[in-house]
Amino acid sequence: MIHLEIQNVSKRYARNKYGIKDFTMQIEKGILGLLGPNGAGKSTLLKMIATVHKPSSGIISLNKNNIVQDPNYMRKQLGFLPQDFGVYPNLNAFEFLRYMGAMKGVGGPPLHERINQLLEGLNLMEAAKKPIGSYSGGMKQRVGIAQALLNNPKIIIFDEPTVGLDPEERVRFRNLISDLANDCIVILSSHIVSDIDTIADKVAIMKNGSLISYGNQDQMVQNVTNRVFETSIEKEHLSSFKFQHTVVSTMRKDGKLLVRFIADQPMENAINQKPNLEDAYLYLTKKK
Amino acid sequence: MKPFLTIIKSDYLQRTRSYSFLITLCASLAIAYTFVPEPNASYSTIRIADHVGYYNSAWFGYVTAIMTSIFLSLIGFYLVNSGIKKDIETKVGQIVAATPISNFKYLCAKVLSNFLVLLSIVLIVFVMSLVLFMLYNDGYPLELVQFIKPYTFITLPAMFFIAVIAVVFEVFLGKFSILQNIGFFFLYTTLMVSTPSNESYFSLDVFGSKIVMHQLEGQVRVLTKKDKSTDLSIGYVIGNTNDTKRFLFKGMDFPRSFIMSRFLLFAIGIGFITLISPFFHRFNVKERNAKKKLTPSIQTQLITPEIRLTKLPIPQINYSVWPIFKTEFKLLVRKGKRWVWFFNLIGMLLLALLPLKIAHQMVLPILWFLQVGRLSDLTTKEAANRVHYFVFSSYKPLSRLFVSKVFAAIMLMICLALPLIIRQGLLANVCAIITILLGSIFIVVFAVFLGMVSKGKKLFEVLFFMITYANMNSIPFADYFGGLEHQTSYFTGLLILVMVLGGLSVFLRTYELKK
Repeated sequence: MIHLEIQNVSKRYARNKYGIKDFTMQIEKGILGLLGPNGAGKSTLLKMIATVHKPSSGIISLNKNNIVQDPNYMRKQLGFLPQDFGVYPNLNAFEFLRYMGAMKGVGGPPLHERINQLLEGLNLMEAAKKPIGSYSGGMKQRVGIAQALLNNPKIIIFDEPTVGLDPEERVRFRNLISDLANDCIVILSSHIVSDIDTIADKVAIMKNGSLISYGNQDQMVQNVTNRVFETSIEKEHLSSFKFQHTVVSTMRKDGKLLVRFIADQPMENAINQKPNLEDAYLYLTKKK
Repeated sequence: MKPFLTIIKSDYLQRTRSYSFLITLCASLAIAYTFVPEPNASYSTIRIADHVGYYNSAWFGYVTAIMTSIFLSLIGFYLVNSGIKKDIETKVGQIVAATPISNFKYLCAKVLSNFLVLLSIVLIVFVMSLVLFMLYNDGYPLELVQFIKPYTFITLPAMFFIAVIAVVFEVFLGKFSILQNIGFFFLYTTLMVSTPSNESYFSLDVFGSKIVMHQLEGQVRVLTKKDKSTDLSIGYVIGNTNDTKRFLFKGMDFPRSFIMSRFLLFAIGIGFITLISPFFHRFNVKERNAKKKLTPSIQTQLITPEIRLTKLPIPQINYSVWPIFKTEFKLLVRKGKRWVWFFNLIGMLLLALLPLKIAHQMVLPILWFLQVGRLSDLTTKEAANRVHYFVFSSYKPLSRLFVSKVFAAIMLMICLALPLIIRQGLLANVCAIITILLGSIFIVVFAVFLGMVSKGKKLFEVLFFMITYANMNSIPFADYFGGLEHQTSYFTGLLILVMVLGGLSVFLRTYELKK
C-alpha cells in the first residue's frame, strides 16, 4: 500500500508571495489528474513532491517517511517527467536511458531489457542509436516518458506529459499509464482536460497556489449538474454574453453562434446539457 | 531610430542583468585596483628601465587607460563574443529572423551592445583610477582632463574595435567557438607585438598604447641619456621595484593624425559590419542542421505493439557510480566538434616528441586549454541542457553524480597528459608526475568552483585563458602544473588551494541541492 501525504505545505518566494500556500492533500494509489490554470502552482507542487524543490514550510511524507528530510527515500521509487526538461544531445536514447538508470540506482541485464521494451513501446527503437539532438520534439518527449518509467517506480509524476505528442501518441500514452493505476501513485498534470478525464481516478483542481477541489470525476461533475446550457446568440452579443456567463465553447451555426455556457440559473431559450469535467473545471476555477 | 535604440538597450540590459556580469564588474574593480601599484608594492605594471612616473593625474590616467586597453581588449572579447549565440540558444533569434529588421541593423545593435557592456567595465576602471589617485598621489592636483583624454583616445576606440571583432567572428565562425578563441588570440598577439616602424604608423595601432609608450620611453631616454631603446615592461612584473627612479610625466598631446585615426576606427568598424551583413546566417543555423540530421522514417508511423508496463522486467538495484562515470566521460569526449580531437592528438604527439621542457612548459597548458569548452560547463551543463530536474531528483546526486563528473574530467585531463606522464615516469621524475596530476585536479576543481559561483562558464573561460597566457610568458605564480622550477612549498600551497576549492564546491552543491 502506498500513501502520499501533503500537510500544510507552502512555498514562499518573497514576502507575501507564495507559489503554494497551505496545501494539504492525501493521495492513494491510482491516477490523480492535477488541473489548474497557468500559474496555479501545479509545477511547483510537483517539483516539491519530486524533491527537486524544498517546501518553505509543511511536510510531505511517503508511507509516513518525511521526504523533505529524507529525499532519497522518495528518489529511490520515483519516476519524474518535468514540464520543461532537456536531454544531452550527443548521447543516443539508449545511452541516455542507461545514464538515467544509473542515476536512479538501477542496473543489470533487466534494465537493459526494460529499456529495450520501453523504446519499443514508445516507438523509439528505430532511432535508439541516433543522437537525441537529431530527434523531433515529440520523440524527445517520449524519451522523457521512458526515463520516468525506468526504475519500476512506485510514484510517478508527469508534468504536462502530452506536450508535443500527436493525437495518436497521446492515446498511446494514456493506454500506457492506465496500466499502472493498480500498483502506484500516478500524478498527471495537464492543461488539457481530455487527457485527464479518460484515465484519472481522482481529480484535483488548483488555483493561486491552493487546492480548490479534490475528488473523483463524478463528484466534480456534480458541481455543474443543471448548470450547463447551450443557446444560440448573435455574433455581436458575444462580448456582453461572456460578461454575464462562463462560456465553455462557441461554434458557428447558420450565421449565429452556438454557445455552451455555465450559469447558476436556467435561461430562456437555453437547452440544458449533460455536464463534463471541462465544464466543472471552468466553473470551479472561475467561481472561487 | 527609436526602435533601433530600444533593441540596443534591451540587448544591453539582458546581458548585464545577470549574476555573472556582477561578478565580472567586481573582478574588474579588483583588477583595476592593481593597475597602479601602491607606492611600496613589490610589483610594477608599467615601468621604463628603472623609471616610473610621479603619481600625478597624468600618470594615473594614462597608465590605467593603457592597462585597460591592453587587458580588457584581451578579456573583453571573451566576455562579449556570444551575443548572437545566445539569441540562437534562447531561440529569440528565430523571432528576430521573422521581423523586418535588416541584418545590418541587427549586427550594428550587437556591436553597440557589446560596446556598452565593455564601456560599463571601463567606467568601473575609470572610477577606480580616480580613487587610486586620491589614495596614492604624490601631492599633485587632480586634473580630470588627464584622465578623460587617454580614456577617450586610447581605451574607447580599442573597446569599439573589440566589439566589432566579436561580431565579425560570430558571423563567420559562429559554430566554431574554439576557432573563434584561437583566431582572436593570434590576432591579438599579432597586433600587440607589431612595432610601428615610424611615428606616423602609430595611427594603425588599434589598442592606442604604443604612442604613449613611445613618448614615455623618449622621456626616460632623455633622462638616462641613452640612445638605444629602453627596457620597457608592461604587465604584472614581480620583484623589479628596487632602485626605482621617478620622472615627471605630464601627459601628451596626441597628433592630429592619431586623433583622426581613432574616429576612423569607428567608421571602419561600421563599414566592416556593412560588408559582412550579407553573410550573416540570420538564424538559419538550426534549420540547416535539422535538414541534415532528421531521418524521416524515424519520425513517422506508430506500428509498434502496445506494451504493458506492469509486465516489464524489474531492474536490479545498483548504486555503482561506474556507469555514471562512464557516461560523464563519454559526454566530455563527445562535447564540441570532432575536429578538435585532431588538435588534441597532435598535442599529445607533441607531448611525446618535443624536448621535455617545451612539452611540459608550453604544450601541456595549451593542450589543456583546448579543453576549455569541456571544462567550463561541468557544473552548469545540467541546467544548460535542462536535465537538472532529473539530476536533482536522482538518488544521492551529490555523492554519486557530482563526484563522477569531477573524476571524469580529471581523468580526461590525465589521459591527455599521458604521453608526458609516461616520459617523466621513464625518467623516474616522480615529482613532475605529481605536479601534473595536481595540475589536472586543480584546473578541474577550479572550473567546478567558478561554474558554481558564477552560474555560468564565462568567468572560468576568461580566467583559464589568462592563466594560460601567463604560462606562455612563464609567469611563475600562474604555473599550476609544474612547468617551472618551484620549491615544495609552492605545490603544498597549490594542494591546499585545491582542497579549499574542492571543499567549497561540495558545500555549494550541497546548498544548491538543499535549497
